Amino acid sequence: MERFDAAVIGGGLLGCFAARELSRWKLDIILLEAREDVCTGISRANTAVVYSGYDHKPGTLKAEMTVRANASFDRLCRDLDVPFSRCGSLMLSFGPRADAVLSKKLQNGEANGVPGLRLLDAESAYAMEPGLAPGLRHALFSPTAGTVNPWQLGIAACENAVHNGVQLRLNTKVEALHREADGYLLETDRGAIRTRAVINCAGLAAHRVQELLFSPSVRIVPSAGDYLVLDKNSAGKPAHILEYEPEEKAKGMTVVPTVEGSLLLGPSERDNTLDYATAENGLLWVREQAARLLPGLDLDGTIRSFAAVRPNPEQMDGRSIHSFVIEHPGQGFWSLIGIKTPGLTCARELGQYVAASLARELHAEENTDFDPIRRGIQKAHTLSFDERQRLAAAEPEYGEIVCCCEDVTRGEILEAIRRGACTVDGVKRRVGTGMGRCQGARCQQKITAILSRELAIPENTVTKDGKGTEILYHGAR
Amino acid sequence: MEHVKLLIVGAGAAGLSAAVSAWDAGCRDIRIADRASAPGGVLPQCIHRGFGLSTFGEELSGPSYAERLLAALSSTGVHLSLDTEVLSVSHDKTALLSRRGCVSRVRFERLILASGCREKTIGSLPVFGTRPAGIFTAGQAQETINLRHQDLGREVLILGSGDLGMIMARRFSLEGKHVIAVLEQAAHYGGMARNYHRCMEMYQIPLRCRMTVRKIHGQGRISGVTAVHLDSGEQEYIACDTLVTALGLIPERALVQGLEASPWLSLAGNCCRVYDIVDSAASQAQRIGHEAGTSLL
Repeated sequence: MERFDAAVIGGGLLGCFAARELSRWKLDIILLEAREDVCTGISRANTAVVYSGYDHKPGTLKAEMTVRANASFDRLCRDLDVPFSRCGSLMLSFGPRADAVLSKKLQNGEANGVPGLRLLDAESAYAMEPGLAPGLRHALFSPTAGTVNPWQLGIAACENAVHNGVQLRLNTKVEALHREADGYLLETDRGAIRTRAVINCAGLAAHRVQELLFSPSVRIVPSAGDYLVLDKNSAGKPAHILEYEPEEKAKGMTVVPTVEGSLLLGPSERDNTLDYATAENGLLWVREQAARLLPGLDLDGTIRSFAAVRPNPEQMDGRSIHSFVIEHPGQGFWSLIGIKTPGLTCARELGQYVAASLARELHAEENTDFDPIRRGIQKAHTLSFDERQRLAAAEPEYGEIVCCCEDVTRGEILEAIRRGACTVDGVKRRVGTGMGRCQGARCQQKITAILSRELAIPENTVTKDGKGTEILYHGAR
Repeated sequence: MEHVKLLIVGAGAAGLSAAVSAWDAGCRDIRIADRASAPGGVLPQCIHRGFGLSTFGEELSGPSYAERLLAALSSTGVHLSLDTEVLSVSHDKTALLSRRGCVSRVRFERLILASGCREKTIGSLPVFGTRPAGIFTAGQAQETINLRHQDLGREVLILGSGDLGMIMARRFSLEGKHVIAVLEQAAHYGGMARNYHRCMEMYQIPLRCRMTVRKIHGQGRISGVTAVHLDSGEQEYIACDTLVTALGLIPERALVQGLEASPWLSLAGNCCRVYDIVDSAASQAQRIGHEAGTSLL
């Protein structure tokens, strides 16, 4: 039977970072993922904000981790070669209730050590965002807030983990856990694995994985939210992240100018659902809020809507939990359960926290060969003319445009497939194909053909997003 | 840097027509760039008849219409660059071109944009639900069936009764698929009467007016839609394994965004406005080509 020092369960953003941070020690590590690719669950749909840290009560782990994580985000994204836009955020108030919320957040932020936080009057805020609706009273400007593409960050962490010796095993579902004298026995649908330690990052199923062996301690109550995406060419796009704090006590909305150039609006909130289907009232709510906040925004530029599911942790008696739940139910067993906002911001800090705790337990030796650097896929459209010309001359496929809306070349797609993309959405997550104004109408069939050839599988077995999502008709003709 | 007097983006009916007219006007330095491997734009995938009645006095298929335009082009010295994407155009009258193994800059004096349209996608509609496989735009379905000879599904629902929607309804029928219905939100089909007769009536495909799709169902592959009757508000579940959206065309002008007022730029064909028939797009493009060609003498 295979033996490892540590098994990380779940290849989402958190699992990828836990594995990457764990590879800073001399340990044999396996990262287990049930699906055909990493970052296909919670990590692929969220608000994409790197928070500055004024939302949380001073002295809490969330506050401390968020501020620290934000400060090191440039370095992290440089190491992992992932685009990060420190565009700053404006929290917007149109009335007395929201004014009070802003003052409270300013106080929190100052106590938490958030750099550069300023309360702006309406005039200064309009100067920064001329498209804002009339009637603005104040804005809380946080220059250090930013945005990153969540799945690109997770995929980068995974690649870096593998580069540092982590074994990635896809299509492998953990079905049972057993305690053994010197660790744990994991039964998967592809055989059993012995390991000295487990880090459980199973996302929406994290409490279930823990309950395979330990008694329940917290439960996850999922909630869903709906988002709209506007094309990068839409008129009236803001330059900063906008957080709308409404006057009535209700959920606000976030507007994010993404690193790809599109505009993300949302989320609405729907309780107690695991449904990745978008809801009519949720999408209407997002549209209404957007029209109210940014009257000049051209909502006809909407190219996509999607729903995200968040894992809300609760006590077994139903009380909600506001902190990160990091559990240690047994020797060598760590669980990250119900990590929601600011989980993206803190993904590396959380990974580092459990990895360091586990390394101490295992008396692990530092891996002095650890290399934090990962090289991303060369994106032709980000290069200067001269660089692009040289690249196409040296590697001809980097001159062939496959996705014309987002300017993605065949060379990038081939590299994405070499790095593990095996579905149309897997290619999309790595190089951004089909994310633009035609939503893949012009490139999906070309990408299907490339996947078929590169993976040596029949074209009618190529999927959009895993088994059961074949692009072409899969039955007999 | 390479230099060309007239650069035309797109080798569809409009681009080819504009090029020939500009040549006939006396301009001798013309280049057409197109991302596809074959010229003709969407014409090669439009294998049905119905093109060219007003220009050629007979009904041609899309590929035959393209052949006529190419025959006219071959008697000129217009340079045709296929498999070539025009990445960007800038104020200083240069275009950035990319093809396999080569990225280059071209300086031009006049530019004719003949980039046609893109299709509206379901993401632009207030449709909610899941995002499964099995949803295609009509043009994407047409290309996949007619040029790639691939199979998209069995039980096909079509949303939108413009010409392309109706033509694809017939095409799926001819492939032996069951076309459940064509849904149309207006009170009347959207396309031309002759297409309604030839594509819908003759194949007994139901047209259901004042209806649209409100919700998509299905986890892996689409399993059905909730359709809504717009007059009564009544909802109806329609099972299908394929949804084809024919929601209309949007002139594709992203390449010249912010440059629309430049005196050296003209728009030819469907990227200028959406024409009902190719003859109209081509004749507008001829005027644009003639004007550009004359101005460069």
